[in-house]
Amino acid sequence: MDAILSEVKVLELAQAPSGAFCAKLLADQGADAIKVEPPGSGDSARQEPPFIGGAPHPDRGTAFLALNTNKRGITLDLAQAEGRALFLRLASDADVIIESFQPGHLARLGLGYEVLRGANPKAIVLSISYFGQNGPYAEYKGDDLIAQAMGGFLYAVTGRANQPPMGTALQQMELTAGRNGVIAVMAALLHRDQTGEGAHIDVSVMEAAISTPSMLIHPYSYTGRVPRRGSMDRNVMDGMHLPTRDGEVTLTTAGTGGRPMEVWSEFLGEPRLLDPKFATRLSRQEHWEELRDLVAPKLAEWENLDLMRETMARGLVIGLVQSPKQVADSPHLAERGFFVELPHAEAGTLKYPGPGFFFDGANPMQPTRGAPRLGEHNTEVYCDRLGLANEELERLRAARVV
Amino acid sequence: MSEVLPLQGVKVLTLEQVHALPWGTALLADLGAQVIRIESVAHLQDRRAGPFVDGKPGEEWWNEGGNLVYYGTRNKQSLCLEVTHPAGKEVFLKLVKNCDVVTDNFRPGTMRRLGFDHESLTQINPRIITLSSTAYGYTGPWRSAGSRARTVDAACGMSYLTGYEGGPSVRASNNYMDHSTGNNVAYALLLALYRRNKTGKGMRIDLTMQETGVSCIAPAILEAQHDIKRPRLGCGHLWKSPHNVYPCAGDDRWIAIAVANDTEWAAMQQVMGAPAWAQDARFDSVTGRWQNRHELDQQVAEWTATQDAKDLMRLLQAQGVCAGVALTAADLVDDSHLKQRGFLQEFNRFPAVGPRKFARRPFRMSEQPPGIRSVATMGEHNEVVLREVAGLSPEEIRALAEQSVIADRPKAGEQAP
Repeated sequence: MDAILSEVKVLELAQAPSGAFCAKLLADQGADAIKVEPPGSGDSARQEPPFIGGAPHPDRGTAFLALNTNKRGITLDLAQAEGRALFLRLASDADVIIESFQPGHLARLGLGYEVLRGANPKAIVLSISYFGQNGPYAEYKGDDLIAQAMGGFLYAVTGRANQPPMGTALQQMELTAGRNGVIAVMAALLHRDQTGEGAHIDVSVMEAAISTPSMLIHPYSYTGRVPRRGSMDRNVMDGMHLPTRDGEVTLTTAGTGGRPMEVWSEFLGEPRLLDPKFATRLSRQEHWEELRDLVAPKLAEWENLDLMRETMARGLVIGLVQSPKQVADSPHLAERGFFVELPHAEAGTLKYPGPGFFFDGANPMQPTRGAPRLGEHNTEVYCDRLGLANEELERLRAARVV
Repeated sequence: MSEVLPLQGVKVLTLEQVHALPWGTALLADLGAQVIRIESVAHLQDRRAGPFVDGKPGEEWWNEGGNLVYYGTRNKQSLCLEVTHPAGKEVFLKLVKNCDVVTDNFRPGTMRRLGFDHESLTQINPRIITLSSTAYGYTGPWRSAGSRARTVDAACGMSYLTGYEGGPSVRASNNYMDHSTGNNVAYALLLALYRRNKTGKGMRIDLTMQETGVSCIAPAILEAQHDIKRPRLGCGHLWKSPHNVYPCAGDDRWIAIAVANDTEWAAMQQVMGAPAWAQDARFDSVTGRWQNRHELDQQVAEWTATQDAKDLMRLLQAQGVCAGVALTAADLVDDSHLKQRGFLQEFNRFPAVGPRKFARRPFRMSEQPPGIRSVATMGEHNEVVLREVAGLSPEEIRALAEQSVIADRPKAGEQAP
């Protein structure tokens, strides 16, 4: 199948992971996505550890590699007038422009939405910021942790009841905002095809965080109870992580036909699970330590993949708590062809996760290239796309515009 | 941007339950698609799920749950049709003829047993887009495994990476993967619709929750291939410090602070009143602060412990220090920023439920982000959908009702949740 977005031109002004992820999602479906980085150090994400090979290197950071697949990369100094003029030339025939600066930053540079629209009335401009383009917090600084805090996620979702709030790993609120952004961009592309109109999209990472746990706003509004972390702490059969021989597992009572203890007792070969004190969810919570001490040694006899196969055969529902290594080596994902190998001059060839969907049986993630090195595509973009002469590009390089 | 919704005219038929897929199709409904949710009197768990007012289901409990408003039937239509009944199946296939998209979240195999697999539906409507949202997909050794969102949090690697510093792995969330998967459903369908507009071709989509989850931890997948171990750090960071959550005055009040560089650290010292401990040379550099982060966290915590969280956030932010309160649901419904942005919407559909608050979708393309225009009571759209989309006559619709192939309330004797 041809890449779906091969006719879509995207410009990403590098700043926050949310914008990078959104542009990556489009680039992976074939959009010509150009990442615009400041000359010199480039996207600050290039400094984020860890690095393939160990030592810090601007092209080998795993976060940078993961969030910038299939993009081309150029450098451009927007603080200089010549840089801004070049940017507007690029913007004039872009379909989508993605920026994740603090609100007002681009306007102060003379590149606010009205200016971009003047250069390209059909442009779809996506602004992702931690708190949105307006409102009392608009100028506040943020990062993923702050968004988890202000979005109610930190207080309510992940941590344990008797410990401080804790959030999820790997910048999930940034990613959620990026996914929300890409939905809005696709909707705007469809809308533009019908009406010819561009759009300015405002995505807030705080609001993305609020929308993510569905047990937050409306449950409070219905019940008056404030959702708080730790609701699953004592659920041996439904939530706790328990060790296996080569990893961990989390059980559920699903697939037991309403007889969880009978079914699990038989499966694990542990008749003491039939004790009436474990008969209900509440009584299991009350006697959770005793229950754990019966269940855990039985599970510890199993290898992860064997346990998955045998529970699956009986219609039981479990989750292997897989390490990233176990995921990367997963026979299931290998058979499905989920990972896509991309070569990279500095990081070598690595397996990257696909988008999570297959189109007509094929993984639609484009295998074009790994993340761009800093300024890797300057000549291609400035000379071939904008038509600058080589000498002109040299002059811009000397003036540190590029 | 004009008021025409981007997906106006697109018809989606959805056999959906629980969370991930309903969230995804609700996004399409928000964007203007006509989403017809097919329900069954034999499977009412979503209508039993609540939340109910004060936790108590009312007389018409099947229409009163809050999840139905937030994503279950939000901006959708409800057609309560028994597709396992031969007459119901016939009606379903008539609907397919006039729809653009069919989605389901059954385990692989069910749609084929019903005669609704992609190949069969393509015979009826060659331009159809079908999407199945499952835990592990239609291929591979785990394809028949069941799931809950948190078991997929586990299977994708997310929960392994989550935990307090030095502690065991912790379930990341009960339903984060539902939402990520729902968002991915919307993206995949928008791509398919975009392609169909260009090429006229339909499409088959096999979308999985596990793989969506793995795409959320991509850096760790790259690291695993080089045996780089990513530590669990709670609210900590791989190189920033202070970067954590700190106690404040009051019961269970916390502030998150994230200092990225020396300038922000200098600003924070000023806000703290330049205490002597902060002058320690070990805290002078990013590396030094990170290496001594446990001591630093303890000092900061002592300073924050007596202060009001919201006042402290305003003070720190005013000086350019990245900080945010760990807000509760009660804080959020009262938050001045969200009020000014109109992010929360009050919706009042049933007198028995009264006005309740909901988060809107977190993107806005004009004045307001997508909000709730309507919610569907059980079987509310039986007649209009069967007449307008399936082309049935009033007599045919009446016959379906008499055979109990369609319904607009639970069966007599159905217990309240």
